[in-house]
Amino acid sequence: MTAVEERAGQVSRARWADRELFDLEMARIFSRCWQFLAHESEIPEPGDYVLRKMGRDVVIVVRDENGDVRVLLNSCRHRGVPLCRADSGNASHFRCSYHGWTYANTGELRGVTYQRDVYGRDGIDKSRLPLYAPAQVDTVFGLVFATWNRDAEPLREYLGDITWYLQAVFDKYPEGLEVVGTPVRNVVRANWKTEGENLSGDGYHTAITHASAFELGLFATERDLVKLADEIAPRFTGRTVCTPRGHTMRVQRLPLVLDGTHYFGYPAGMWPQFDARLSPAQRELMSALSVGHGSIFPNMSFIENFKTNVDGPDLHARYVRITIRYPIDATTSEELWLYLCPRGADSDWARLSRLAYLRTNGPSGLFEVDDTENFVGISEASRGDVARGLPVVLEGGRHHPATPVEAGWPGEVVDGDRTERTIRCFHRRWDELMGDSEAGR
Amino acid sequence: MTKAEPAQQAVVDAATAFEIQDFLYLEAELLDERRYPEWVNLVADDFTYQVPVPRTPDSPHKPHWDDRSLLIDESKWSLMSQWFRRFDADIYETAWGENPPVRFRHVLSNVRVHGLTGPAAYEVRSNVVLIATRQSDPPRYLSGRRTDELVRGDSGFLLRRRRVVLDQVLLDFPQLRIIL
Repeated sequence: MTAVEERAGQVSRARWADRELFDLEMARIFSRCWQFLAHESEIPEPGDYVLRKMGRDVVIVVRDENGDVRVLLNSCRHRGVPLCRADSGNASHFRCSYHGWTYANTGELRGVTYQRDVYGRDGIDKSRLPLYAPAQVDTVFGLVFATWNRDAEPLREYLGDITWYLQAVFDKYPEGLEVVGTPVRNVVRANWKTEGENLSGDGYHTAITHASAFELGLFATERDLVKLADEIAPRFTGRTVCTPRGHTMRVQRLPLVLDGTHYFGYPAGMWPQFDARLSPAQRELMSALSVGHGSIFPNMSFIENFKTNVDGPDLHARYVRITIRYPIDATTSEELWLYLCPRGADSDWARLSRLAYLRTNGPSGLFEVDDTENFVGISEASRGDVARGLPVVLEGGRHHPATPVEAGWPGEVVDGDRTERTIRCFHRRWDELMGDSEAGR
Repeated sequence: MTKAEPAQQAVVDAATAFEIQDFLYLEAELLDERRYPEWVNLVADDFTYQVPVPRTPDSPHKPHWDDRSLLIDESKWSLMSQWFRRFDADIYETAWGENPPVRFRHVLSNVRVHGLTGPAAYEVRSNVVLIATRQSDPPRYLSGRRTDELVRGDSGFLLRRRRVVLDQVLLDFPQLRIIL
């Protein structure tokens, strides 16, 4: 057991259903932590904006006229009316529909209607009423984050060792990634934490929850593997990464014996580009990848997945997806789905990658249908008065060996695929932020 | 208000319109009853089914969906081998999300048929409400505008293309693996 996963072997099921704990989470987690909001490619031009949430607050993520990304609370300083009603758009100014107060897309209050009539000859001091904004906004590899917390450590420090892994996923493309179109939004009747726990590194559920996907050929089987390499290794191998702020990742490698790097699922023309942008240890991470996924505390997850036979036999592709879960109440959340494609990618491959995503880990994909049933079920069952008081068991993988340091992977890294250590890591961070909130519960 | 061309009226004869409407009712019935092997016989080999992602646009002159991103993009092959296959006797017990299955009910209305240029091809627009009931939950609803393309084959009509534009943006439905 590593330092990051101490405690948190058993946690109460109240965490997935209790209303008062939920309210405390909003105060102690969502008002303090850095949260992922958007990808820079969603707002390429000055004035482009998307609406997103930080906890239960709606914010405008906008590129101002100077090209800087701003995050603004979507609520007029006058009487609180939302300024943006569309999911996305382009605006140099935001004008309130109630009394017409107008803000530049930097958030600065520019116009107050009938000012002398309403506020006297000197008017109102506009400089003290810009749109309310997070204390810090920062971007890493195109990923925009913000926090309300003035005292929060800088984003790079907050992300810590997981940055190296985010770089391998999001920054290996010479022209970058772009989010393709409007993200899907849907309501999931599950606690906001549940899917993030799964994506944090649960390699234990895959063979059971997704058993039918094996039957359908969506996981590489011997039939596919023999065509990828001359020699097949005995089994899929996995590693998980834990970091002190609760960010984690799991990486599963295809069971192949290979020389050099092989980024299966991408056009061969892209392979040397990845080699050029990744360090040797990052190449090891990304080569022969079966799946890599992780969660950034509290509510963002990412996945890069190699899926086989997605549009017919031997048609395989990788894709990159980001999901976010916004809390609505203790047993309801809103999910946002971003599919990302490398800029300038071959169009036939891009189509196959998108199909691989949609048909497996997309909102209508079959993996999600099976996963969601589990996530919803946890909240349903944990509402019971007896069930809520019981612990869940999160003890798996404690005996797995640490990865040799020579591998060069940062963070606390362990060899072993079927594990619960990343979920323990999430809850250890949760404990740290929530303090003694469960006392007497 | 800008001047518009007069709205187009249906241009097929009543008998054809009736046949097509009946075809759509049959097709919906087969879906609702999960008679997928029979449903598959009603679609063309090059069938495509797409649902663009719904959105709230920033202008009444922009569509409330985004053609750049799709919620669903399926073919006859993918529906047969990745959707319906999950109900087969040898694997349904581990196709957890379909067992017990969500109960679907299609409600169709406002069916209008237009002849397309080319041999015996039709564009059929309709309104669709899909009602889904999961386990003991209350039913949930999705509504949309459907645009189908039909061709008349040797043994009746075949569905060649279906595209559905949804009204709801924040989708609240038990599962999104749905044929509207």
